[in-house]
Amino acid sequence: MLSLWRKIRRTGRVAEPAPPRPAAPPADRMPVELAGSVQIRHVDAGSCNGCEVEIGSAFGPVYDAERYGARLVASPRHADALLVTGPVTRNMAEPLRRTYDAVPRPKLVVAVGDCARNCGVFAGAYGVAGAVRDVVPVDLEIAGCPPRPEAIVEGLRKLTGR
Amino acid sequence: MNLAAVGLGVAVAVGVLTALAAVVVPAPMRSTVTGAGTALTGAAGVVAGIAAMTGESFTVALPALLPLSGVSMTLDALGGLFVAVTGGVAVAAGIYGISYTRSHGLDARLVQAVFPLFVVAMLLVPAAASVGTFLVCWELMALTSLLLVVAEHRRRPEVASAGRWYAVMTHLGFVTVLVGLLVFVAHAADDSFPALREAGRQLSPGVAGLVFVVTLAGFSSKAGILPLHAWLPRAHPEAPSHVSALMSAAMVNLGVYGMVRVGFDLLGGGARWWWLLVLALGALSAVYGILQAAMSTDLKRLLGQSTTENMGLVLVGVGAAGLFATSGDRVLAGLALAAALLHVIVHAAFKTLLFLAAGSVLHATGTRDLDALGGLRPRMPVTTAAFGLGALAASALPPGTAFVSEWLLLQALIHGLPASGTTGGTAAAIAMPVAVAAVALTAGLAVATFVKAFGVGFLAKPRTAAAENAYESPPSMLAGMGLAGLACVVLAVLPTIVLPGVATAGSVALGAGESAVTGAVTLRLVGVVGSLSPLVLTLALVAALVVAAGAVRVVATRRARRVARRVVRLWDCGAGPLSARMEYTATSFAEPLQRVFDNVVQPETDVDVSHHEESRYLVQAVEYRRRVPDRIERRLYQPVLAAVAAWGRAGRRLATGSVHRYLGYGFYTVCGLLILLAVTR
Repeated sequence: MLSLWRKIRRTGRVAEPAPPRPAAPPADRMPVELAGSVQIRHVDAGSCNGCEVEIGSAFGPVYDAERYGARLVASPRHADALLVTGPVTRNMAEPLRRTYDAVPRPKLVVAVGDCARNCGVFAGAYGVAGAVRDVVPVDLEIAGCPPRPEAIVEGLRKLTGR
Repeated sequence: MNLAAVGLGVAVAVGVLTALAAVVVPAPMRSTVTGAGTALTGAAGVVAGIAAMTGESFTVALPALLPLSGVSMTLDALGGLFVAVTGGVAVAAGIYGISYTRSHGLDARLVQAVFPLFVVAMLLVPAAASVGTFLVCWELMALTSLLLVVAEHRRRPEVASAGRWYAVMTHLGFVTVLVGLLVFVAHAADDSFPALREAGRQLSPGVAGLVFVVTLAGFSSKAGILPLHAWLPRAHPEAPSHVSALMSAAMVNLGVYGMVRVGFDLLGGGARWWWLLVLALGALSAVYGILQAAMSTDLKRLLGQSTTENMGLVLVGVGAAGLFATSGDRVLAGLALAAALLHVIVHAAFKTLLFLAAGSVLHATGTRDLDALGGLRPRMPVTTAAFGLGALAASALPPGTAFVSEWLLLQALIHGLPASGTTGGTAAAIAMPVAVAAVALTAGLAVATFVKAFGVGFLAKPRTAAAENAYESPPSMLAGMGLAGLACVVLAVLPTIVLPGVATAGSVALGAGESAVTGAVTLRLVGVVGSLSPLVLTLALVAALVVAAGAVRVVATRRARRVARRVVRLWDCGAGPLSARMEYTATSFAEPLQRVFDNVVQPETDVDVSHHEESRYLVQAVEYRRRVPDRIERRLYQPVLAAVAAWGRAGRRLATGSVHRYLGYGFYTVCGLLILLAVTR
């Protein structure tokens, strides 16, 4: 326990300085009730896990997305927004729809990565049902294959408005 | 006219007549006649017992009835309490048995005739007033219960094994009681209890201690106390359910009766170490019994192990009472004994209810395995309510029945701490805190155990087709459960109506004194600080529940008016529908406890993972098996059994089958005896 405290003291803060706040999206797209705090449920709809690695580092100590009010939660019942990665495979289309139904209103969907936006390199593959917007309504898209953590943090800041 | 004498006489007469009728009456009517007759026997017993508890004791001597020793009966308040409890259980079990025996193919003449005789034997044991009568009734009780335990031995082979265990252990217990009482009688004028009482005062401490310890072994084996409990979790589940109720709620009590009668009444209190021994055995049994029950997945076995626990708690009370009495503290001794005797009554009520409800489940589903049950609530609403009430009664939580007696017990133990300035002694200083801790741990584990039994067994979805097709039991079984449930509720909210009788019964053991607890609605402890009002507590809890539920409902309807509600499916991780396989099982519920008590219970777990043929990385099936063996049984019984077997094999060499040899043995034995007599005379 003591060594842990020592490690914390010695390491100090590793988070990068906060970049300027991104331009907010149109106000009618973002619900005002969330008030700067957005609980996010991540759904892997068929990703190659590249985006997951980047999301992991976006919520890591260096990029620290939580300081902008975004937080990952364990159930869609606790969530305000879904963070969907990957092209939606046939097996995941129905679970994704059900997850979307399970999120209480108001709710948002963020499509992370090129696959989620337009199926990316998997477009036309036999097991792919379509992009995320073909299955559930998408509010925000984050481009990149995979998107850099900075891009993900920037996207999430648009949601939280901080 | 003495009501106690008339009641007991009527009980015996009706019981014997019912047994005769069961032999004569044709099969379709037999179970009705037996059930009604047994219930009447029990009712007469209740009347006799209550009359005796209110002070109408009687004595009757029938010297011609039994050769050599004769029969002599005395029903005093202490015996009356046990007679009343036995009678009450018999009423519920008798009514319940009408349909239960019919639907379980138990309407054979022998089983039906023995059932009322078992009740009569149990009613007579506490009324016996001489060693001869006591032992005859005790043996009659053991034999009739044995016949009832093995009633289903043709259908299930495990019944025969349970019957063997029970037969051997109950008779070893009988032999120890016999030896102990005979040693006692050898120092008295004759074998009547008054003569023994007289002799008990002048007995040397060594002989008195020997008598007490030897009889304690016998009585504690009947009460299912460690380490002589091995028969109980075997025999109680395998007996037909109404017999289980009688055995577990009435018969085990008589072990406690024997201890109190011999220890307090006949031997007159004795030394401090006797009661420390009783206290230690009780505390150990309570914790170990409930721990085994918490691990158990067999509904009736769980209840049997819980009997060991409750008898342990009773023994804690009895031991504490003895300890206080030897220290000269009459007030606390009276309180502890009252707690113990009240727990006997309370345990009888809820254990009857639980065993009858378990029998109803067995009747509807054909299984006692909790992991195969579930989802019984919509299918058997009355049984579920009955078991729920019993489970609440068995957990020492405020509206429950066992709460009052365990509260009294804890009060006695806490006030017995030398720090509070009542009793001295290093032994008490060590024993009391440990006993308090044991009782508290037992209470906590009991809650976990009964939450498991009720939640896994009755709620959620059915796990098997048997549970899916369950149906409610016939009216007579429901009536039996209803009676036991009513007793539970009355004892929970108004324990004060039985407490005067309990106090009178206790005064037989401890000598006349003030009642330890007074009050009509509120229990007030006499001599020490403490009061409790179960009725007000229950009403307050119910009111709080109603208010909370009402408030939630009001808030919910208000919100519903403001925010549009929508119906969504239950969250099941997005995958297929929820199935019974995803439910908590009894095994998984007990798993955290099993981890905590890993060193104590030492469970054996096996995990077999079978892989797919094509790839080691794909798992085809995972099989998990857990067994919780009884450690005491393994350490204590197996070496003894092995030694007996080895001795038997060695003895076989002496018995070769040659008649000449056997005649030779006889001849040399007689010669040896004659020489011995010639030398010693």
